[in-house]
Amino acid sequence: MTVLPLILSIAAFLSLGLSTDAHHRRRFGAGPTAGRRRALRSAGWVGLGAAFVPAILAQGWVFGPILWVAAIMAGAAIAFLILNLVPDPRSRA
Amino acid sequence: MSKGFRQSQAFLHTWSGMLLGWILFLVFVAGSLAFWREGLNRWTRPELARIEQPMRVLAGSQAFLAKTAPDAKSWFIPIVTDRMPGAQLFWVPQPKPGEPAGRRRGRGRRDTQALIGADGQVAHARDTRGGEFFYRFHFDLHYMPVIWARWIVGFATMMMLVAILSGIVTHKKIFKDFFTLRRAKGQRSWLDGHNATAVLALPFHLMITYTGLVTLMALLMPWAVVANYIDERVVAAALFPSAAAVERTGRPAPLIDLRRVAADAERRLGAPASFIEVSDPGDAAARVTVSQSFGSMLSSRTPRLAYDGVSGRLVWRSPMPGAAAETAGVMIGLHAGRFAGYGGRWLYFLCGVAGTLMVASGLVLWTVKRRERLPDPTRPHVGFRLVERLNVAVIGGFPLGVAAFFWANRVLPVDLGGRAEWEVNTLFIVWAMSAVLAFVAKPRLVWSLLFAATGVLLVVLPFYDIVATDRGILDMLARGDLVIAVIDATMGVFGISFLAVAHRVARHRPSAKRVRKLRSAEARVLEPAE
Repeated sequence: MTVLPLILSIAAFLSLGLSTDAHHRRRFGAGPTAGRRRALRSAGWVGLGAAFVPAILAQGWVFGPILWVAAIMAGAAIAFLILNLVPDPRSRA
Repeated sequence: MSKGFRQSQAFLHTWSGMLLGWILFLVFVAGSLAFWREGLNRWTRPELARIEQPMRVLAGSQAFLAKTAPDAKSWFIPIVTDRMPGAQLFWVPQPKPGEPAGRRRGRGRRDTQALIGADGQVAHARDTRGGEFFYRFHFDLHYMPVIWARWIVGFATMMMLVAILSGIVTHKKIFKDFFTLRRAKGQRSWLDGHNATAVLALPFHLMITYTGLVTLMALLMPWAVVANYIDERVVAAALFPSAAAVERTGRPAPLIDLRRVAADAERRLGAPASFIEVSDPGDAAARVTVSQSFGSMLSSRTPRLAYDGVSGRLVWRSPMPGAAAETAGVMIGLHAGRFAGYGGRWLYFLCGVAGTLMVASGLVLWTVKRRERLPDPTRPHVGFRLVERLNVAVIGGFPLGVAAFFWANRVLPVDLGGRAEWEVNTLFIVWAMSAVLAFVAKPRLVWSLLFAATGVLLVVLPFYDIVATDRGILDMLARGDLVIAVIDATMGVFGISFLAVAHRVARHRPSAKRVRKLRSAEARVLEPAE
């Protein structure tokens, strides 16, 4: 339960990151269509919100919100590093 | 948002960040290290065995104090965990008649302190301040009166808050460009790095800055207290309530076994206890006050229980704190992160590192942005040179001083007089030499020199520990004592990073394209960095 908020947050930020032109183009070869951008964005925001639930379940109302914010920060950092530093598999091949 | 507003914010951001950035850099480095205060306290005393039985240490502490300071005014005994090097005891002697009572004695008096080791005996460890140094330095600085230091740090913190808030306005694209990192693009890369370290840990930066101010609030804004209270002691009583004081009777009576009191307190509190204060030990009126551990709750104002020191009867329980006191307690608890386990501490530490990088990249950015607008880049004006060189002296020099501190802890002779202070002096001597170097040699050379030196010191240290102590990484892993092993490994990793940075700086050749002609609009100097 403690790692679940983190996993959700990483997934959410990856989704938000891929909704930007630059990262979408880099990973998929073309900019996102309007619908796809909307889908990625909403998935990201829903993921961030959803992470709140397991955080509270894991740590209660005092430490749960702290865990949630911590998971968001860590998730953002990890997603940031993945998006920018992990080389694109297709450009390598 | 109007352009004028954003520009005024850019001005504010640049100058509030730049003028106090050097202080903030020190506070961030030392504060981040202070999250590992307990671990460093152990790391700096490699001769001490790890604590396996906290209650044995407590019994040993009581026995030692009963022998050494039987008629003290009070004893202070931490209840240790396996994270601590030992129990750092201190006691307050009976006030002599005519001496004002209740006044705090000077810090660091050695004759009323002792360290009890894992076996319950007085431990003979090297004289060092260990992790405590970084903790104190991050708000007390060094070589200056504590009150001045706190005013300086408090003012810098206030400016940090200003810089964060104006920075959010100035770098308006930070949220849009959230995921962007353009590498090897000069100013753009510095900006992306500055933004990334700022935004990714933004909740932490806001929290740590604001709660940092809260820890100093009574000093910075005393008016609420001054306006409502005349006697300082009344304030203290309102904020930190304690059981009613009892008069010393003069009739001797044996003190109860503190282990029993601690066990009873832990049962009643439903959480570990961390601290015992005994007043008038050995007297019929002795009192034992037990505080709950910081690690067990968010607020730093933890509940306390007071016992009769002879019968062991519970006589007092701290009242629920008021809303304001609880709020302050929670904020200080958030700042110090004492509730956090190892995972949480890593996050705190890494956020602190992000903050350090944010301040450092901001300071460097100031010069990067201005260099290309200089009328003649080969001969910059005095202000530019000063900032550039102070950057080298602080950002390059202070980490080298810290690395030297760790080495001094290992290699200074154990019987050196004032050894703990010499460890600290080593830090400042090395730092001062770096600063001198920064002002006499070419910045680029000094940057890579200082980073390389820091890197080498940190990379070699774990190997030194393997060879020269019995607490190298391999031993510690074998014994399952991860904290020491991880500290050594972390130093190694940071050392490698410093070497990598040094290598990049040394290899860096400014591309010809970036030395552009002076742009037409002078006002662009104030242009927000975006």
